[in-house]
Amino acid sequence: MQDLSTALALFQYPFMQRALIGGVLTGLTGGLLGSFTVVRQLSFFSDALGHSALLGISIGIVCGLSPSVVVLPFALLFAIGVTYLLEKTDLWTDALLNIVYSASLAIAVIILSSEGSYQGGISNLLFGDILALQTTDLWVSAVLLLGCSAFIGLTLRTQMLLTLHEPLAIARGVNVYAHRMAFMVLLSLVVATAIKAIGVLLVGAFVVIPACAARSLSRNFSSYILLSAMLGALSAAAGSFCSALFNVPSGPSIVVTQLILFLAASTGLLRRTRLV
Amino acid sequence: MGRNHPHIPPLPSEPILSVEQLTVRRGQQAALQDVSFDLVPGTDAAIIGPNGAGKSTLVQSILGILPRESGAVTLLGHRLNAKGQLPGEVRQQVAYLPQNFLVDRRIPLTVKELVALGWDKLGLQLPWAKAKARQRAVQQALERVEAGHLGRKFISALSGGETKRVLLAYCLVRSRQLLILDEAPAGLDVRGEADFYQLLYELKAEQGWTILQISHDLDMVRKHCDRVICLNRRLMCQGVPETALAPENLSATYGSEFVRYRHNRHAC
Repeated sequence: MQDLSTALALFQYPFMQRALIGGVLTGLTGGLLGSFTVVRQLSFFSDALGHSALLGISIGIVCGLSPSVVVLPFALLFAIGVTYLLEKTDLWTDALLNIVYSASLAIAVIILSSEGSYQGGISNLLFGDILALQTTDLWVSAVLLLGCSAFIGLTLRTQMLLTLHEPLAIARGVNVYAHRMAFMVLLSLVVATAIKAIGVLLVGAFVVIPACAARSLSRNFSSYILLSAMLGALSAAAGSFCSALFNVPSGPSIVVTQLILFLAASTGLLRRTRLV
Repeated sequence: MGRNHPHIPPLPSEPILSVEQLTVRRGQQAALQDVSFDLVPGTDAAIIGPNGAGKSTLVQSILGILPRESGAVTLLGHRLNAKGQLPGEVRQQVAYLPQNFLVDRRIPLTVKELVALGWDKLGLQLPWAKAKARQRAVQQALERVEAGHLGRKFISALSGGETKRVLLAYCLVRSRQLLILDEAPAGLDVRGEADFYQLLYELKAEQGWTILQISHDLDMVRKHCDRVICLNRRLMCQGVPETALAPENLSATYGSEFVRYRHNRHAC
């Protein structure tokens, strides 16, 4: 463990500043979309997309393209494909996602095993490397945060009614398919962007854990959404700092911080200490 | 038809709802075949029929929730298009309460937020737009159904009777012309059901609602409704309760066993 001043001094380095900003932006966006993802029982979607992204990345490697270039269009295709299949088949969401992600993962492993030169990069893909974020990554995250905030903010009542009761929303003239598709596409882009920093194995936590913590603390739906985004940002900032303090990997450190916040919220500890 | 200024309300002689030769398929089977009827403003119509008769299918296809195979539905002078769409202003005039209103009780939605969803127009808008007007309308609607004290509660904390009153506030919070209820009092005990209907008909008298409701309670239908639509995948009969609920019509709709059972039960 480093002392406090050494840990704080680390944030003078640009790569640590980028990691902190990137984490906070991803935390905010993940928490914002996560609030709807969790109550719509789509938590497994972010995990499935994370795992399936390996297929996109491995195809990119075979074609000689950078993973960052391939992962966004792949995520878009994944969102459109899964939403289409959900609409056209009569299957349960988790079962369909399981089929898609298991198959994607299997094909990805076969492709990567034949690409011996890329074995070293697998660890980065699985667990991410938030310290490797570049300024361009931060811009992409900022634009996504803006887009997601505008989408959720401007269609808030529609999203709430859709989440509560789909037939009621259709009876009010809501185009469920278009809204579902738009939400899935945004969620996919957020997850795909976060993979570089957090990795395919942990990316789901950014969407699910802050929202579950916020659920225990909120007094109404609006505060639930805001709290979920704020807890996402807070855990990213605190997790990045703990990573510097204890000299542990940043992604896992942020997820452990999210877990601590979730446990504190679920057991009522945060309420008793009047932090929220 | 003016797209920007839909023609609302209809003239008194014009039907508020018109269903023409509606056919709906579910899989290979026809769930509804050639159903036609009109509702004029102010009517309180009940759809009756055995389980699987297509009652919920009928109201869901009227609202565009289920696709039609053929036939036409016209609401407030506007024809439902092939995709089940209607102008937003027409949608605002119709309130729908689905059967049982099953929602995930873990969703942290308060009563006020639920009722406010009935007030909002659901287009693109800033979340804080018209906040005061919304708040005022929600509070008035909740107080009218004697649920003002429930505003801050989560919907998961409501009893069955409270849920029904809050749902009526959802309908009431904005001026409507047509209420479509799919077995609205389902799940309530006898007392709860009586309270629900008392409140519903007080509100109908105040608001001038036209009501189309699915019901299994033939006594309630006889007491309150002025129009009955008997359904068993086809339109078996329609008319005032005195004729539509006559034994021969009930026998055609439900089967002769039902009429015998009902006759014996009333004789006891």
